[in-house]
Amino acid sequence: MMELPGALAAFTYNDRGALQSHVLREGTELTPQVLDLLARSCVANLAIASMEASGWEALTGQGGFQPLKGISVVGLEWSVVANGNRGVVVKNRDADYEAAFNAVQTA
Amino acid sequence: MHIVKQLMAIPGVIAAGEYAYRGDRFSYEGALTEEFARMASIVCRANTLSVNMQAEIFESFAENCGCRPVQGWIVRGSQITVCAVGNYFSFIENRDELLNDVMTIMRAKVGDVQDDLLASLYARLGGDTKEALY
Repeated sequence: MMELPGALAAFTYNDRGALQSHVLREGTELTPQVLDLLARSCVANLAIASMEASGWEALTGQGGFQPLKGISVVGLEWSVVANGNRGVVVKNRDADYEAAFNAVQTA
Repeated sequence: MHIVKQLMAIPGVIAAGEYAYRGDRFSYEGALTEEFARMASIVCRANTLSVNMQAEIFESFAENCGCRPVQGWIVRGSQITVCAVGNYFSFIENRDELLNDVMTIMRAKVGDVQDDLLASLYARLGGDTKEALY
């Protein structure tokens, strides 16, 4: 995941959102503590997105959401892209969102 | 060209619209009914507020970490992706390069969301931005 364009950090987390492993690009402002919080927010956001997708499909009859392939939060300078138990932080300026979503798909 | 019209001109964009931070106001174009567009606006508003809250927490642990103010979010489905930047949203098909193109356009047209996103969104309604938003 660190080979993605503009990758600042890559991390894995357990189902409860606790950080399991991470790699940080040298010089980044991100810290392991922020990554741990990010991982927890990723689990929460994935759960919320899954609930919304399920509800949307049931209410509207429009398919095409489930199974989810991930979520991203776009900050001022960087974006986090996550799915399953892995996430990557990429610089917005260089971000290739499609490649990032592909990279976080579980094998 | 207005951002919604510009987005709708791209093959693979299913619908696009604008939602207000406060109240029920929204506008949209594309393959959604009025009721579904209203629901989409509510979902987008809730998610935007949620990720802004999360970013405030991140920044309290690492000042100037580069997350605030949040510009938007993406939910990637198996065949459809929802993108939100500022107070605009779009439903798009999962086609090669479409997500990157749409995000580039949305970020370029909306511009970097300035600090105090909520006041900015509320100001678009002509509201009193000094009023407490929570």
